[in-house]
Amino acid sequence: MLSLPCRFRRRRILALVAVLAIAMLVAVACAPAAEEAAPAEEEAAPAEEEAAPAEEEAAPAEEEEAMPAEECTPTGEVKRGGELVFARREEPLTLDPAIPNDNGSIYAIEQIFSALTRPDEDGWGLEPDGAESWDISDDGLVYTFHLREGAKFSNGDPVTAGDYVFALERGRGPESGFAGIFEAIDTIEAPDDMTVVLTLKRPYAPILSVASIFYGAVYPQDVFEADPDGFSSNPVGSGPWMVEEYTRGDRLVLVPNPHYWELGVDCKPLPYLDKVTILYVPETNSRVLGLRNGDFDAMDGVPFNEAAALDAEEGITLHVAPIFRLDYIYLNHQNPPLDSKEFRLALNYAVDRQVILDTVYFGYGEIPNGYWPKMFYHSEDVPLIPYDPDKARELVAESGYNGEPIEILIAAGDTTFEQTAVILQQFWKEVGINAEIVKNDTGTAFDEIVAGNYQTSGSYITSDINDDDELAILMADISNDTSSFFSWYENDEAVELLKKAQSTLDPDERAEYYAQIQEMVYWDGYSVPINYVPAVNAYADHVQNWKNIAPGWWWLRTVWMDQ
Amino acid sequence: MRLLGYIIRRLIQMTPALIGITLFAFLLIQLIPGDPVQIMTGGRASPETIAATREKFGLDRPLHIQYLIFLRNLSRGDLGISITQRGAPITHLVGDRLGPSAFLLTYSALMAVGLAIPLAMYSAQHAEQPIDHAIRIGGMVTLSMPSFWLALLLILLFGLVLDWLPMAGWGEGFFGHLKFLFLPSLAIALYLAPMLIQSLRASLLDVMQADYIEAARAKGLSPTRVMLKHVLRNGLIPTVTILAVNVGWLIGGAVVIETVFSIPGLGRLLVQSVVYRDYPTVQGLTLVFGVLVMGINLLADVSYAIIDPRVVYE
Repeated sequence: MLSLPCRFRRRRILALVAVLAIAMLVAVACAPAAEEAAPAEEEAAPAEEEAAPAEEEAAPAEEEEAMPAEECTPTGEVKRGGELVFARREEPLTLDPAIPNDNGSIYAIEQIFSALTRPDEDGWGLEPDGAESWDISDDGLVYTFHLREGAKFSNGDPVTAGDYVFALERGRGPESGFAGIFEAIDTIEAPDDMTVVLTLKRPYAPILSVASIFYGAVYPQDVFEADPDGFSSNPVGSGPWMVEEYTRGDRLVLVPNPHYWELGVDCKPLPYLDKVTILYVPETNSRVLGLRNGDFDAMDGVPFNEAAALDAEEGITLHVAPIFRLDYIYLNHQNPPLDSKEFRLALNYAVDRQVILDTVYFGYGEIPNGYWPKMFYHSEDVPLIPYDPDKARELVAESGYNGEPIEILIAAGDTTFEQTAVILQQFWKEVGINAEIVKNDTGTAFDEIVAGNYQTSGSYITSDINDDDELAILMADISNDTSSFFSWYENDEAVELLKKAQSTLDPDERAEYYAQIQEMVYWDGYSVPINYVPAVNAYADHVQNWKNIAPGWWWLRTVWMDQ
Repeated sequence: MRLLGYIIRRLIQMTPALIGITLFAFLLIQLIPGDPVQIMTGGRASPETIAATREKFGLDRPLHIQYLIFLRNLSRGDLGISITQRGAPITHLVGDRLGPSAFLLTYSALMAVGLAIPLAMYSAQHAEQPIDHAIRIGGMVTLSMPSFWLALLLILLFGLVLDWLPMAGWGEGFFGHLKFLFLPSLAIALYLAPMLIQSLRASLLDVMQADYIEAARAKGLSPTRVMLKHVLRNGLIPTVTILAVNVGWLIGGAVVIETVFSIPGLGRLLVQSVVYRDYPTVQGLTLVFGVLVMGINLLADVSYAIIDPRVVYE
């Protein structure tokens, strides 16, 4: 073997150095960026923890002791501590309560923040949260909320009425994701630090439920104003949890809010757990396998086709909870032949919904008899549109349908609706209605729906508050921003009734109105409702007291682990 | 010296290419129907909110102004803010994801090479014998498997049945990453290695015919030494090219693996941004991908000079 002449050797060494330099450049580009994000979060947490003990020492010792001793008797026993790992199918895109519309963000926000009121244990009723009590004026226009004594944010600052006013104004301002929910409120005032007064434009029964919505959740005005853009990633709230780490695309780690007011069954402050790590695991199979393997303690979004198998598996418990969700086929009433009532009813008569419930949802859910999700004022008495293909054929003939195929628009990748669409296509064919399934990507599909460039489309709707009013009127009032939630459904009589239903404070009167509206609009062929879909979670047997409440999210503060 | 000059010249040439790429991506994504603000606000926001949001993200300005703003921010090292992630700085989003993606890529490339070189050498030395066919057919099988299915099989076997390895996330700390990213890297390597084996084997067989190899054998060198010191170096270059091209593709192409294993990587971020029409993030990612791909190709070109001293750059 000849030895290399000098010049070759030098060149090779230089080349090696060059490659190392480039490799190091790439490594340097990667590492600091990743590490910078983490230390910043870690530095924020200790600072908060240092502030907390100082505050607790300053506050009179009597106040802390008097309450538990006098007002609380232990009603049960739990094992405190432990870390829960919860695999979620969606991730929070922001933790600023005034802005989001996605459940990924909303359900996380509900753990960190509190509002004046909140849904109760199963989610169908309301109970005090940030406000201990409230008075309603005789004319039903002025609501005076008395804030909870001694309530503090997770950074130790006291919660004041001024903070509520700030938060609510932001919640109905130009940044809000749903300013319209506060539409009935005229003014928001804080006559003193412990009182918030809402004055309404007209009597409005849903206001207490609206007062629970996350858009109005409270946070410290000064903290927000110090860094408005940063608040999305570093929030401070008065809910049971505070954020220890928030890495987008990866995880949200929650630790107990040391100043949270609520006590557990053992008369010590909630939450019971030491930490909850909410991982973003979008792939369904990964969530299921991780739960079976013990990597995760709990998961949401259990696929219907695996629910029974998971339930049967030792060590895993299935949790099926009714929530305010309806899967349905949107109909565009301004796009023929959907403008014909006979045609729309034919679409309903033609379908045996039990088949869809069994094959697509594996029996989970209930056949709907209304046009909004099943909530407090749902009427069981409204008759279901039966499966009657002959009647459907009659109606098709009456409607003058010319045989031109109608389009079923689905967002690509939505397997539930892809299956449902195929079944619908079959049923509709049998009564002479031709349908084509069009799959577009989510963004394009959404665009077309908003613009009204569709005929029928499969999707779902959920309610943010536990009052029927939000959706009932959103979906049926063509004069609102969404044109009856993209259905262009016009029915003045229904809108009249809806307005009456929201302005009377008498629950029996409201029930009557909503029953009427439900029957009227459902039997008008508003949509083709498919299923009142429940939430299906699963968790390891050692997880106790898992609760998925009806508005959609979980009560993580009362979960404990028997380990 | 010449090589260093070459590297610097290539780096400078990257700049106009990157501008071209980002401009192209910018125009392309504007052509797809779909309004990021509408998608983000989900249909319940008031017209005031929608207008205010458009203003906040500069979407109400004319297209060429938007692009110029992007360039101006870039000159300050700022990639802008994400629409979908509600104002989160894109530099942070990309920074957080770059680590996992880079680690995954490097790990899988090393694994693929670690698998490919010995198997290709063995295959070449025993060409046309049963073991050679077995290696090649095995490679064809793992190459043809859909990656998510292969990934799920690995999770099932090593995560559930054997419970040796974790199935989601990318772990903490260097050794945590090594453990958590083992299966995802293996999934990628099982796809990559067959391509490398095929090319390397062919190239090795070619080189093995050469006269100087026969001379080396005649001198009395052991077959292993011949293979390692002489055959391999001469046959490696085409395979390096294939590796570089594939790794470049994998920067974004690993999205399926990232989704199955819940790794917060760049591929997933890109797909999510395109689906939700998050224009600024798509822009920022295109730029980053451009830099990475070009960087990898540069690395490959430089490595040719190392492997083969005869290669000289002007």
